[in-house]
Amino acid sequence: MAEQLLDKVRDVAEGQIDFEGQKLAELLANVALTLVGIIAFAVGYLLQDIKLAVYIALGGTALTFLIVTPPWSFFNRNPVKWLPVGGPPQPPANIVVNEKSLR
Amino acid sequence: MYSSLVRLQNTFGFFTTVIFVVAAFIAVSDVVTPREPVVATLKTNQVQVVRGRPHYYSSKKEEYAVIKFSLDADLSSLFTWNTKQVFVYVTAEWPSSSAAKIAGNVTENQAVIWDTIITAPSSDHLANLGPAARKKLLKSAAGKAIDPSRGKLSIKNQKPKYQITHPSGKIAETDDVVLKLHYNVQPWVGMLTWNQDIDMFRWKKLKNGMSKKFALPAIKKKVEAKKTTAGTGK
Repeated sequence: MAEQLLDKVRDVAEGQIDFEGQKLAELLANVALTLVGIIAFAVGYLLQDIKLAVYIALGGTALTFLIVTPPWSFFNRNPVKWLPVGGPPQPPANIVVNEKSLR
Repeated sequence: MYSSLVRLQNTFGFFTTVIFVVAAFIAVSDVVTPREPVVATLKTNQVQVVRGRPHYYSSKKEEYAVIKFSLDADLSSLFTWNTKQVFVYVTAEWPSSSAAKIAGNVTENQAVIWDTIITAPSSDHLANLGPAARKKLLKSAAGKAIDPSRGKLSIKNQKPKYQITHPSGKIAETDDVVLKLHYNVQPWVGMLTWNQDIDMFRWKKLKNGMSKKFALPAIKKKVEAKKTTAGTGK
């Protein structure tokens, strides 16, 4: 019971996502941060307000962290289909090592 | 991007890159913004030379020049979004006497007589002021991101902050002294820049930043009135 609970906690803390999700997360992070940088500079320059630019950059970055870091469900839409534990029943293979038959 | 920690690290890594690039763009935005500082007037009002000691316990007497001046200048084009503060200072400059030149000493003398820091509204909270003065400063820029009007200086008959002397201790009756205005733009990001003597791309040189030549007078003779009261005291 305790071990199960601990496993759950570990899973939440680790926040694994699937391969498609990883691709999406990387794309999201890069695009969002680049956009934030461009917007911060453009707004700051046009309004001649450097404090506003800093706030936009930091706020946008915080938002990006929020979108990218937690294992949201949209990062887990394509779970890897593992083979069942133990595998499907297979025809016994006739392996011969040193003239001794295994299995 | 497998676990939360890795995503956190990767995102932070790219964040530092973005910040660096944005900062570089901000620094470059300074270079393309025109600067046209102009001095309308820079002149002396009253010049005198007095004898004094460098500090209280010194037995050495030196000559000090006290130069009162007036300044009218428009430095408002120096105030952009990337300007943190502008340091403005006035120097007195004069060539060395021919005797000193022959001895191989310095040929140019330069001494600051007055300076001031003009903060931009974005750095008002950093100004080294008392609470009342700071409140007034913050109020003067309420709702403004930049305040170029602070670059318009109009100073009449200003007492110098610093009385100047010379290593030789002699400064009276010096000829060909000029006052010069200098400034120093301190940005939030980018290079520290000074006033220029030549035009550089969109930054124009400081126009008319030098006063007419003047001479420092002879030492002001102390009035001997003090001696009459000196005997009565202890």
